Amino acid sequence: MKNNRFVERSITGALSFFKDAIFADEEALKKGFLQARDARLKMLMVFVLILAALFSKSIVFIAGIYAFCVILALASSINIIFFLKRTWFFIPLFSLCIALPALFDIFSPGEKFLSFKVFFVPLSITKQGLSSAGIFFARVLTSVSLCVLLSVTTRHYVLLKALRVFRAPQVFVMTLGMCCRYVYLFIEIIQNTYMAIKSRAGGVFGIKNSQGVVAWNIAALWQRSYVMHNRVYEAMLSRGYSGEPKVIEEFDFTYKDWFWLGTAILILGLSLWQNHYLN
Amino acid sequence: MHIPDGYLGPVTCGVTYAVMLPVWGLASKIVKKTLNAKQVPLLAIAAAFSFVIMMFNVPIPGGTTGHAVGAVLAGILLGPWAGCIAISVALAVQALLFGDGGITALGANCFNMAFVEVFAGYYIYRIISGSSAITSGRRVVAAGIAGYAGLNIAALTAAIMFGIQPLLHKTAQGQSLYCPYGLNVAIPVMLGEHMLVFGFVEAVVTVLVVKYLQKQDPDLLKIKKEVAA
Repeated sequence: MKNNRFVERSITGALSFFKDAIFADEEALKKGFLQARDARLKMLMVFVLILAALFSKSIVFIAGIYAFCVILALASSINIIFFLKRTWFFIPLFSLCIALPALFDIFSPGEKFLSFKVFFVPLSITKQGLSSAGIFFARVLTSVSLCVLLSVTTRHYVLLKALRVFRAPQVFVMTLGMCCRYVYLFIEIIQNTYMAIKSRAGGVFGIKNSQGVVAWNIAALWQRSYVMHNRVYEAMLSRGYSGEPKVIEEFDFTYKDWFWLGTAILILGLSLWQNHYLN
Repeated sequence: MHIPDGYLGPVTCGVTYAVMLPVWGLASKIVKKTLNAKQVPLLAIAAAFSFVIMMFNVPIPGGTTGHAVGAVLAGILLGPWAGCIAISVALAVQALLFGDGGITALGANCFNMAFVEVFAGYYIYRIISGSSAITSGRRVVAAGIAGYAGLNIAALTAAIMFGIQPLLHKTAQGQSLYCPYGLNVAIPVMLGEHMLVFGFVEAVVTVLVVKYLQKQDPDLLKIKKEVAA
């Protein structure tokens, strides 16, 4: 059964994707602090905070931005366990693994903090290494958390429409919105296809057959996609599409939205000022 | 190969966005000219297709799995400019909605996967396949080499981005601020894993899909001629 685990992994991946997407939409519909903010200004606010973390050279300052992010999540009635699981697992933990060798004097020569021997090989953790790894991990964690916070407090289609604030061409915004919907549809197709294969073949495949099944799925998906685009175009025409996409603007901002965007800009300013001061 | 936020410094993020903005602008112009209104939904569908390809785990001898990017395949099926838009849109959806790949690193990710990989793979495929018939075995070989080489070239550009961080951003005390490894570590590690594992996954997926389409619906492999510049 070991060889067919790719089927299970792909289905598990698709299912968790669905679960996350549905859960994120549920969170976005809750009455909370960030859910009440205008999507365009909220996106700008998060982007400015990510920039503040990116520019900062101080681990304490980045930790402060992370704390602010967690407070925002709590104020937005986000399930904190879900939020921490989503933000700590994979990218930050993977980054932590990447950062670990940087602790040692092989990669980060400098002032020794701790020396020991592993199988008679002398190793030292340096202060520079600790600092580099710490700031790297803190920055990745904070950025990922801010990004997840934005996506779980904003409905996906609203978030994509809000991209207009960055003057993204309409064709991009329309393509993004449509792409998002097709992703859900395609994942459903893949799930059903895998289920059908498994029910007929009994779930045992060799590596070569497994690769063939994957390629067959991808190619068949492309065939279906190509057939589908004709039908989609006809559906668009029946709804009044005339060759130029139009994005309906439904946004409304209040002084509170501007206040929080101002706060984020202030944090970015502090980050830049602190860099200047540290230099 | 998806670079998250925090790995690259502001200079690299800014420069890659500055490079990608005219590429996206040019791609939009060319695609608008070459793609008729009827094919507009194809772009969105192709972007979703690219997104979904990245979810397919392909088994590798030894019991592990890896996933393809599908950028070379997008280039072959859609042409390089439409492929560039499709992969960029897929990467933007991943970064914005699922936190996979960063917002500040989106320019860098699009440069590596939507520009370098798509164009390198597409032109390698075209050069090797030459004027051979759509159903010829030469095209299958071309697709495999293009998939393998395209991904590895993209991995090299990503490795260079990682490796220059300690040169660009370091404090007076010698502390790295972003990706802590120099070119001497980043290039061998990134190229090693892509040349030994992920390059083959990309090649296998590209080859098998091209082979399947040659048998089932060879017309789909001609689409690139209509939408490529």
